[in-house]
Amino acid sequence: MTQQEFLRELEEVLEADAESIKGDETLADLGSWDSLAVMSFIAMVDENYGVTLAASKLASAKNVEDLIALLGDKISNT
Amino acid sequence: MQAVISAIEYDLPEGQLTNEMLGAEYPEWSVEKIEEKIGISVRRITAKDECASDMGVRAAEKLFASGVCNREDIDYLLFCTQSPDYFLPTTACLMQDRLGLPKSCGALDFNLGCSGYIYGLGLAKGLIETGQARNVLLITAETYSKHIHTGDKSVRTLFGDAAAATLIQSSGKAELKIGPFVYGTDGSGGKNLIVPTSGFRTPRTEESARVDEDEQGNLRSQDNLYMNGSEIFTFTLRTIPKSVKELLSLSGKSLDDIDLFVFHQANKFMLEHLRKKLSVPEEKFYMSFKNYGNTVSSTIPIALKDAQREGKLKSGDLVMLVGFGVGYSWGATLLHWV
Repeated sequence: MTQQEFLRELEEVLEADAESIKGDETLADLGSWDSLAVMSFIAMVDENYGVTLAASKLASAKNVEDLIALLGDKISNT
Repeated sequence: MQAVISAIEYDLPEGQLTNEMLGAEYPEWSVEKIEEKIGISVRRITAKDECASDMGVRAAEKLFASGVCNREDIDYLLFCTQSPDYFLPTTACLMQDRLGLPKSCGALDFNLGCSGYIYGLGLAKGLIETGQARNVLLITAETYSKHIHTGDKSVRTLFGDAAAATLIQSSGKAELKIGPFVYGTDGSGGKNLIVPTSGFRTPRTEESARVDEDEQGNLRSQDNLYMNGSEIFTFTLRTIPKSVKELLSLSGKSLDDIDLFVFHQANKFMLEHLRKKLSVPEEKFYMSFKNYGNTVSSTIPIALKDAQREGKLKSGDLVMLVGFGVGYSWGATLLHWV
């Protein structure tokens, strides 16, 4: 999956407007990154990428780039 | 001689905590959003002086009133709770007296949460099939509301109080009715669902009672229930699908052979995700938390009773039960419903 596709999925998880997330935001910038959003994110990644993220690693993520890094080579740059 | 579930009854306390009530207390909170996500509308809450054992006694009295068996015939009482009347004496012993069970009856408490019903069925089956008992009364009862700080939305929205009483008897026949079983334990997750000062490891002090606010704005002290929701969710995703597969392979069944799946009724979000992950069709996946919330060890027997009332659970059905939670502890089994 591409980075752009990932951002669209992230918008769905956060119920944010389409194409509103550019990828350089901190999680604090995304006002709705709360405990429910974290659970929804874990569920989305599990469903779409077949990866069960470690909750502790997710807890230390500070920005959108960190989220992308958690998925490693599952996300391509193009 | 095989063990079989003969009857289930449950009891709910009168107190209610609705989403409207929560919405009034937490103005920043969207009632619709939470209800959509967790699928819970009402949690039932015990009164201040009402214990888990009180609900358990009422549930057992319903069993006796139904005429399915006499109290004199109960020869073993298993009581599953993490909210006992006392550390000592054993709450099950007090309940033997309150229920007027014979003095020849064995009785014990066991401390498990959301996996407790599966373990209770396993223990009851063992007692019956080794000839130690003929009529086992398994009571599950929990009052997590007493552990929860009223300012902690993360758990207050999810948990409700309830009790269930299940009668497990010897069928007198050789066909398997309960089993096989798959169990699992991972104590490294104990810290993720815990009342830190609930025993002797960390005694209660003035300091432990100090209420702090977490990053999400939830209030709690060390004397309250704490749950790390995302850790619990991750644990469930990693463990439960594997256990389901193990149980199917152990029993020589396929997913299609199962008529009804009754999982621990945690909440809609978690169950819906597990259902999809396991590719179980919606109509075979029972859900019954809307009017109770997560009642810990009683969610499965309450769901079985409700499913039977609604005609979704019929004689001859093959049912898969899966319990998982605090510990971490989990278990799964199959029921041939009679």
